[in-house]
Amino acid sequence: MLKSPLMTSGTGMTEREKFSRALEAIAEKQCRESFTELFGFFAPRIKSYLMRLGSDDVQAEELAQEVMITVWRKAGQFDPKQASPSTWIFRIARNRRIDAFRRTKNLDVEADEPALSPAPLPQPQEQMELIETEEIVRDAVSELPDDQRKLLKAAFFDGLSHVEIATRFKLPLGTVKSRIRLAFQKLRTKLDYEEGE
Amino acid sequence: MSEEHDFGEEFYSAYAAGSLDPALTLLIETQASLKADVRKELLIADAVAGTFLESEAPAPMSFRAAERALEAIDALQAQPAIERKASRMASRMVDELIRLPEPLQEIALQNSVQSGWKYAGKGLRVLPIDVSADVTTELLRIEPGCGAPSHTHEGSEYTLVVSGGFTDEFGAYGPGDVSIVGSDHTHRPVADEGEICFALAVRDGNLKFDGLLGVLQKFFG
Repeated sequence: MLKSPLMTSGTGMTEREKFSRALEAIAEKQCRESFTELFGFFAPRIKSYLMRLGSDDVQAEELAQEVMITVWRKAGQFDPKQASPSTWIFRIARNRRIDAFRRTKNLDVEADEPALSPAPLPQPQEQMELIETEEIVRDAVSELPDDQRKLLKAAFFDGLSHVEIATRFKLPLGTVKSRIRLAFQKLRTKLDYEEGE
Repeated sequence: MSEEHDFGEEFYSAYAAGSLDPALTLLIETQASLKADVRKELLIADAVAGTFLESEAPAPMSFRAAERALEAIDALQAQPAIERKASRMASRMVDELIRLPEPLQEIALQNSVQSGWKYAGKGLRVLPIDVSADVTTELLRIEPGCGAPSHTHEGSEYTLVVSGGFTDEFGAYGPGDVSIVGSDHTHRPVADEGEICFALAVRDGNLKFDGLLGVLQKFFG
């Protein structure tokens, strides 16, 4: 099983719910304690993610700061029915990183340009609330066998290509492809099954 | 499963991780807004990445990182509602200020809230820094190729390059260099190409600099 640091806390509220409330408190009352709480959990993890993708310590630190400042500024756009705090914040991190990448390419990019804002995922009339979809996916990920989950992480989080994964894990390319395909297919199937209910 | 589908998964995982080319990211997000099946794939991909973010081993942030973020937020929020372009500019300016070295950072942020940047010519903005009543202290933001008009000083001007660099009649200055221009000298500093130049200028103007000079020399020495 995937060890999640976000199991239910003593209050009966999950950590995830606490983070959702924190985002709402920032949006509604500019709550600094809530920000500090979110910062304490997410900033070091964003930094770690950025370093994993090749930023050095200083760049990663700066970008993580920018991400958290953006989290504050955009907190009003967070909708707990659409996404979990971690996925929402992850999207901001990803977009800030792309933004930073463009800056280093010397392109004149405005931080708030539509293409670079954390993509508000389209909200059409799917039957399920997106947060439910996300929960199903998360559960399905935690149920994957270790070897599949490792490869899924290498692809979807570390951003490695299938060839790179094959090299890193010393596996034939075909095995990498089929394991990732299998894992992703399981997530899709789980989702289709739940949606069908 | 077809080869095409296979390519799709690698595409989505690169998108999720943020390693996909920005142009393709834009493309796929646009596509997702038009097609439900793509939207679903992206949703799965994002949820997977979000899950892994939660279980990521934290990399320690520097001392007072959260406090510094809040300080930057305060600086942003103190700005009155201004039109979109101006606010965009302002937020970029604040981002820039956050990168200033520690001793300068806090006071520059404070002053950007209190007085704000002033336009001082093409590509030149000036932020008055309220640190001493006896001298004029300013943070200069000079875009590449731009600079101050040619000027002569009655007193002395000390200019520390904080980032980027500029060149005048007396030489070229990079980060950490101090340009000292005495009275009756005329110069026209121009920022070097490639990077916005931030410089901290201290001028005694019409006032006598003598009393302070010793202190400043010690500071620069």
